[in-house]
Amino acid sequence: MSPVEPLRVVGHSVRRLDALEMVTGRARYVTDMELPGMLHAKLLRSPYPHAKILRVDVTRARAAAGVRAVVTSADLDWCDPYFGPAFRDRPILAIDVARYEGEPVAAVVAETEGAAAAALELIEIAYEELPAVTTPEEALAPGAPLVHTSEPPAGHFADLSTLKPKPGTNICHQFHLERGHGAGAFAEADIVVEDVYRFPRVQHYSMEPHAALAIWDPDGTLTVWASTQNPYSVRVELAKMFRLPLSRIRIIVPLLGGGFGGKTYAKLEPIVGALARIAGRPVRLALSVAEAFRTVRRCNARARVRLGFKRDGTLWAAECHADFDVGAYADIGPRIIQKGTYTATGPYRVPHVVLHANAVYTNTTPGGAFRGFGVPQLAWALESLVDEAARDLGHDPVDLRRQNLLARGEEFAPRDTPIDGKFEESLNRTAEAIRWTEAPAADRGRGLAMMMKASVAPTVSEAIVRLHADASVTVLASTVEMGQGARTVMAQIAAEVLAVPVDRVSVAMPDTAITPYDQTTSSSRSTTMTGRAVQEAATDVREQLLRIAGRRLGVSTSALGVEDASVVAAGERLPYPELLQERFGMGGGELIGRGIVAPGRSTAPLGGSTPFWEMAVGAAEVSVDEETGAVLVHSYVSVADVGRCINPQQCEGQDEGAVMQGIGHTLLEEMVYEQGQLLNANLVDYRVPRAEDVPAELRCHFVENGDGAGPFGAKGAGEGSLVPVSPAVGNALARLTGVRFRELPLTPERVWHALRQRRITRSHSSAAGSGFRAPGGA
Amino acid sequence: MHATPTPSSSSVACTVNGRPVALEVAPQTLLLDALRDQLGLKGAKRSCDIQVCGACTVLVDGAPVSACTYLAVEAGSREIQTVEGLADGETLHALQEAFLEHGAIQCGFCTSGMLLTAAALLEEDPAPTRERILHYLRGNLCRCTGYQKIIDAIAACAKPAPSPHSLPHRGGR
Amino acid sequence: MLRPFVLDRPATLGEVADLLTAHREDAVLYAGGTELLLLMKEGLVCPGHLIDVKTVPDLDAITAEDGVLTIGATVRHRGVERSALVQERCPLVAGVARHVANVRVRTVGTVGGNLAFADPHSDLATLFLSLDGTLMLWSRRGAREVSLADFIRGPYETAREEDEVLTAIRLRRWPAGTASAYLKFGVYERPTLGVTVACRPAATGRPSALSVTVGCVGPRPQRLLEVERQGAGESAAALVARAEELGAAAAREIEAIADRHGSVEYKRALTGVCVRRALQVAAARAQGQDIHARYAHTVIV
Repeated sequence: MSPVEPLRVVGHSVRRLDALEMVTGRARYVTDMELPGMLHAKLLRSPYPHAKILRVDVTRARAAAGVRAVVTSADLDWCDPYFGPAFRDRPILAIDVARYEGEPVAAVVAETEGAAAAALELIEIAYEELPAVTTPEEALAPGAPLVHTSEPPAGHFADLSTLKPKPGTNICHQFHLERGHGAGAFAEADIVVEDVYRFPRVQHYSMEPHAALAIWDPDGTLTVWASTQNPYSVRVELAKMFRLPLSRIRIIVPLLGGGFGGKTYAKLEPIVGALARIAGRPVRLALSVAEAFRTVRRCNARARVRLGFKRDGTLWAAECHADFDVGAYADIGPRIIQKGTYTATGPYRVPHVVLHANAVYTNTTPGGAFRGFGVPQLAWALESLVDEAARDLGHDPVDLRRQNLLARGEEFAPRDTPIDGKFEESLNRTAEAIRWTEAPAADRGRGLAMMMKASVAPTVSEAIVRLHADASVTVLASTVEMGQGARTVMAQIAAEVLAVPVDRVSVAMPDTAITPYDQTTSSSRSTTMTGRAVQEAATDVREQLLRIAGRRLGVSTSALGVEDASVVAAGERLPYPELLQERFGMGGGELIGRGIVAPGRSTAPLGGSTPFWEMAVGAAEVSVDEETGAVLVHSYVSVADVGRCINPQQCEGQDEGAVMQGIGHTLLEEMVYEQGQLLNANLVDYRVPRAEDVPAELRCHFVENGDGAGPFGAKGAGEGSLVPVSPAVGNALARLTGVRFRELPLTPERVWHALRQRRITRSHSSAAGSGFRAPGGA
Repeated sequence: MHATPTPSSSSVACTVNGRPVALEVAPQTLLLDALRDQLGLKGAKRSCDIQVCGACTVLVDGAPVSACTYLAVEAGSREIQTVEGLADGETLHALQEAFLEHGAIQCGFCTSGMLLTAAALLEEDPAPTRERILHYLRGNLCRCTGYQKIIDAIAACAKPAPSPHSLPHRGGR
Repeated sequence: MLRPFVLDRPATLGEVADLLTAHREDAVLYAGGTELLLLMKEGLVCPGHLIDVKTVPDLDAITAEDGVLTIGATVRHRGVERSALVQERCPLVAGVARHVANVRVRTVGTVGGNLAFADPHSDLATLFLSLDGTLMLWSRRGAREVSLADFIRGPYETAREEDEVLTAIRLRRWPAGTASAYLKFGVYERPTLGVTVACRPAATGRPSALSVTVGCVGPRPQRLLEVERQGAGESAAALVARAEELGAAAAREIEAIADRHGSVEYKRALTGVCVRRALQVAAARAQGQDIHARYAHTVIV
């Protein structure tokens, strides 16, 4: 496809394929589904953060009205009860020990939800409490109680085949990367800044909590309708656990009511699959929001970062030591610490680097993937510290960043993909949009931050495109629709390549029996990777059409094009139905195209070269009511380098949502644990952003230089814009108040307290002038 | 004369989306479950379950209610409207069109609640200010869109601004 | 979901009383259910009987007589918000009702239910205390009127006896010439702090009056008598000038408890600030001005 031709469908804000069903209430999610004979499951959860399970008595529960099965780990010896993508450390139901408050210990399956809930109360469990560790510091202290006392086997991902637990500790994985002279290079720096930053536990709060519905066929095939972001990963897990070939496990994914990473990798599917097998009938499990908080969350982190600059502003050395709290089960934690730490130095050039991260078990809700995947935690630290360095150097923070930005084509790390974007353009656009060079009003402060993230590699996406006899098209791809508009984007790509109207393109529901392998809907990769597979598959069909037409017209395919569901040449127009008729000799049949995108392994540090770099810049203008500590974000600008927006309105909507989620963890959200008990697993006590929290001015822009590896030059998007929010706000507050914040969220009390410290310190201090650095902070 | 306690199951006559309906419910049946399970109206969703998020919003006699925390028996003799009743046959409500036009939908889980709440607002106040929209939507959460396009869609359905000569609305004292 | 129960729908207060006596701890009074049903979902209360007080006539009326506004216990927040009578006689009450929780809770939740639940983070309790609110309680033993201050004993604890029904709330309007303001601050779902200031500046032959109540920061809403004493007799202009000092006095006088909304230290400071701000607004209104103050995460009625 010539890049010079105007695009008909790609680059246009086409309406979502599924939007009409959503506005009319006809959209169907897992909990809207019913099967004949379906039973309902409820889970009994551990009330303790760490406890031996001494005795379980289910007699009364089993006898209760409407109950069809009561299951504990003792009833699961017919399968392999452990799952997990990195370590297979997580049992379907707790075995002998409960490792976090909320861990499922028993399950009831009954005719109604009410009967199941009532029966839960009849289960008697005797626990013996064990000492628990609930912070990374506690977990890392010498002699700390161990969350896992034996080393579980590795999970199913190639890039995590070199898992490095530290035996006898709560460290389940370590990541280390050095470049240049490492720590020794700091001696050559003119100024060194160092500090410790903390990022809180936050929860996805997808409005649809996790849900799954499982049924076993008489022939032994397991089908699960799951609210999951990666059906193929779930399939691998279930195949291992239930000792079935992959071909006997079918995962179907209707719409997801939000995911954000919280629905990656097996969560409910193992228990629902097991319960359906035991009960001999379909079983549906739908979690409550309180239970979702006890299923997955973002990994909190503590990062000590040290940066060394030359006096002229050149970033010379960087050191980062981060402890990520992955909770009681590793989930994808090991990859999170790798991915986050890999770009701990952001989009900057720095020759000397020492990076180390630990994935630390604690007796809390397991940490897992969440939009940003380790990068927000470390960008909070890095981007705050870059501003501190700018101040110490007397440089403008935007200039300091620009000076050190990686250039397009430059190497980030040996043997990884070179930088694929003109990052300076995003930086400049952001600075201009926030009016960086103009002084803000006296009561306002402005701050800016950048981020960069690699996407998962090695990776595989496959797609099939079917052109039907009437020139309508079906796309088979396993990208999950969770609000990002991915299925619409796939339709746009196919429609563009085949020159058919986009409303004549159907995208099948992801179904591992029908739609081919796609590694995951996460890592900002769907448009780039699955989109490319769809593009290839559609191109395959187009080539077939051109060949048929070429034979018919006696011309070379290079003389042919496509337009309006027809192959066109000078003076000739051959509609697709006619070409199919020609090909098949009848009014039936279809052309099938195939696309496989699989960049494969490489010797880059993470085991594969990133298909694209995700990079975004954010800037905030804030005010603070010092007397109450309330922070308001008046203006926020996000610029993301996305190569090409396949659907501009969807891109904008995604980034607006990302920014608001960022405002959530910056100002509002935090999971509160006290002695291992989660205190605020509900929407009254856990505060997510509302409509009134949207900045008066929120603008999300895109740099589209067509320089991505995806279709039409697209790159990944969707995570980037979340990351800069907290450091941009932190930097704005620092510039406004002189106080540096190191911990999130910036609740009114936290801010109030820090500002008071500054006032107290300043009033006591006799130092004045440029040498004084306010030690206040939080 | 003693009060008649409600027996374990009773028939509740109400109107749902303009049609008379008899719901067979127990006292403890929540309206959300009656609508979803008995009438197959799945548009209203269960999310937070504690009246904060608005995903379960339905209109009862034109006013927004958290169906997750509203007994079905309370619907007796009342008019219930769900998102399935917003459109007039195949003709979409202006808000539905505006949501489509403005890209105000992502995962769709909050959408039915947003639409009904906005519809109730516009009935009450056909030309709401942005501030009024934000106040009215305080109880409708969205985790995907960041709200901007939802606010834009609702504002687009507001009638044009009143003439400059009309008195401004004074807040309560 | 809810466990099964019997829903009783009495036609008279007498029937309510009989049901309470017959079922004792196994029965709870039910109006809007916006608090009760949440407790039942959590399994914190498991009543076998819900006694619907909405079917008792005349508990949902709003009347005004001789400076007393009477709001029936089963009047919804939305009803208070929209009542022409309330807007005319006690506009601040209508204004605050507009900001309780969210629009759905306002549709269903009742004033009586709100007060009887006694959530410490309550706008209505704070406001009604400043209006010398009294609650009408009825039982077979007789009717009684209890001051709001005596009715709310502590968090989720009231003076209602097991066999009593809350039938109405009576509010004493401030005298003509009183200017007032309600200010609430908070980031979370429930208010972190609420303050009512009412001031009637001195005039010839009439002493001034000042009333300051603060709620949500302590176990119960609190009338700040010391602050009122210090501000008594002042002109509106003087109140504005002394607002900071009076705020500081409020910070000292308030009883605060630490919870997720903040530490005692923070809540005291917040009290000082919010009382000062509310005083500034009320005093300005007393001078015929409205300063249209806006503060982050703050609602001023």
